[in-house]
Amino acid sequence: MMVKKKCVAMLLAGGQGSRLQSLTTSIAKPAVPFGGKYRIIDFTLSNCTNSGIDTVGVLTQYQPLVLNSYIGIGSAWDLDRRNGGVTVLPPYTEASEVKWYSGTANAIYHNMKYIEQYNPEYVLVLSGDHIYKMDYSKMLDYHIQNEAEATISVVEVPWDEASRFGIMNTNKDYEILEFDEKPAEPKSNLASMGIYIFNWKALKEFLEVDNVNEESSHDFGKDLIPLFLNEDKRLMAYPFDGYWKDVGTVKSLWEANMDLLKENPGLNLFDHSWRIYSRNPNQPPQYISHHAEVKESLVNEGCFIEGKVQHSVIFQGVKTGEGSLIDEAVIMPDAVIGSNSVVRRAIVPEGIHVPDGITIEPEDNSSDIILVTDELIEKLRKDVTA
Amino acid sequence: MSRLLGVIDATNVVGGLQDLSLNRSVASIPFAGRYRFIDFILSNMVNSGVESVAIFPKHQYRSLMDHIGSGKNWDLDRKKDGLFFLPPFFEPNENSTVGSFARLDQHLDFFKRSHQDYVFIANSYVITNIDIEEALAEHLIHDHDITELVNHTHSLDMYIVKKSLLIELIENRKNSQFISVSDVVNQPLHNFNIGTYTHTGYAAIMNSIEAYFHHSMKLLDPTVWNQLFPADRPVFTKVKDEPPTRYSSASTVTNSMIANGAVIEGRVNSSIISRAVKIGRNSHVTNCVVMQKSQIGEGCTLEYVILDKDVRVLDGVTLKGSPEKPLVLRKGTVREMAVSM
Repeated sequence: MMVKKKCVAMLLAGGQGSRLQSLTTSIAKPAVPFGGKYRIIDFTLSNCTNSGIDTVGVLTQYQPLVLNSYIGIGSAWDLDRRNGGVTVLPPYTEASEVKWYSGTANAIYHNMKYIEQYNPEYVLVLSGDHIYKMDYSKMLDYHIQNEAEATISVVEVPWDEASRFGIMNTNKDYEILEFDEKPAEPKSNLASMGIYIFNWKALKEFLEVDNVNEESSHDFGKDLIPLFLNEDKRLMAYPFDGYWKDVGTVKSLWEANMDLLKENPGLNLFDHSWRIYSRNPNQPPQYISHHAEVKESLVNEGCFIEGKVQHSVIFQGVKTGEGSLIDEAVIMPDAVIGSNSVVRRAIVPEGIHVPDGITIEPEDNSSDIILVTDELIEKLRKDVTA
Repeated sequence: MSRLLGVIDATNVVGGLQDLSLNRSVASIPFAGRYRFIDFILSNMVNSGVESVAIFPKHQYRSLMDHIGSGKNWDLDRKKDGLFFLPPFFEPNENSTVGSFARLDQHLDFFKRSHQDYVFIANSYVITNIDIEEALAEHLIHDHDITELVNHTHSLDMYIVKKSLLIELIENRKNSQFISVSDVVNQPLHNFNIGTYTHTGYAAIMNSIEAYFHHSMKLLDPTVWNQLFPADRPVFTKVKDEPPTRYSSASTVTNSMIANGAVIEGRVNSSIISRAVKIGRNSHVTNCVVMQKSQIGEGCTLEYVILDKDVRVLDGVTLKGSPEKPLVLRKGTVREMAVSM
């Protein structure tokens, strides 16, 4: 018999994140490195543990190997608990049928037994794709106070970008009247953050209704929320005004990393009262050599810096050679930047080796961000020797 | 399965390190930006396949216990074997050398109950990266009674001994008058076959503040760094979840070792900076060792200073020691007026 839990979190971590190109060919988007030390999913898992939510089901599907071993038994986030803790929930087979998750709601539907074990009052549905710090316990209080059946966290986005998001049209009390998925002409700029709290009884009922609807795409935004609205259930929007970023593209991933380097960053990694936890690489402190110069940057342990680093984010175990320049770049774990090489406005993925004397930078006046690949390096090397 | 039982004798008092060991045992003195002394020998044991380690602490072992915990960070939280913290029932009268029989005797059952045949006995104040398996192989080939580990001509105060002989030495100590393993090795009159194993890598014997400072500065030599932190033999420590180090636009850092969670806004040269240290604008920190969470304000000048944990140096302070005699600011000190030596 499991101990009853007030609130169980379900973290959707199966996303491919195909717009991140080569960064997600072998790992799922939530496992993509971020901020010099973390993976994207660390933010949601740390939010859970910091909010006092100790029962988290992580739903995986696409390329789960790295994610599964990264999460392990959850000790890094203090989620290795006797009752609850973190549980990785991959798709499974039942009788003769393999049940791939066909949508976000479908993924939860297939794991209703996991939720039932804890007999919760509330279910918190999260996405492992976003960078933000949020106290879910405050959102839960808001949900309870407002006697809602479902509460959706929203953030104000610039009006000209609103048509890229799922938009909530609310009354002045933040009660949701309408949901518009990527509207051409948005009536509001309150975008869904993909964070939902449901009364478990209601969610269970609607998941079952949705499951037998053959026209449904089994998605929370597109199908479940409209179903709640059609049935006149009370839905509340929970306004969030902190830093929130969907790092869905190479450019936005780069921007979110650069955001950390501002004088007063929107996302403070140095706040001890809301620590972001991660699996620690356990490497010695970084070494900054006689010839090195490091400014306006974040540099993680195990680095060996012999060149110039400015306005960049450098992950653990990176080596940079003498005479090299790293400028407005993100260098992921264990990458090596050779002597006299230049890397500017680029992301260098994990383990990539940039040989000596290579220059990687966007064309003049281009606002592009280069995602460095082995093929690109091969091409540049041929250009140098040619 | 390893045939070695690891013993860390953390009871020895090192007189010369008093400034750094007032509130902690020598084993838990911070070193190299993020470690404690004991991390090195403990990691050596784990990397050499030792699965059972006993730590014998002396008084003031709170900081040591807090650091070691269940041994999880060293992968020593095991169902079978693992980490054993064996504090004294009473403090023996004699001030002994490494491997004190009077102390080991208080936990003789531990040795009798363990299934390993050989015991590796080490202290906590020698910092090195060593393969103990190799030393055991030498011990077995030459059929020594006791093997002493040495570096150049210095004893590392680490020993390998057959467990049955160790138990015999402990039980017979009243007759034999030997007080410790180290004592047996250093006494000329006995019939034991004592051999040596030479460790050629870098080894730091921390027996004074000067040695501590010297070896801290040596970390900035990449050949030393590589010998203490080879990628295949990592040094484990208690994990702190600090963010990466943040360098501001005004920071200038050269030839330094900097740990995570530090915020550098000033100038740092030839120094060791630990986790979560803050160095303010227009401050110059040269040839210093700054330990965890210490804060240096704006416009300070520090040369040849060791700052223990939680030291605060307020704005505009100048502090200067010398290479031969570094200035030590004890844990928790707040410095506001200029001092020059």
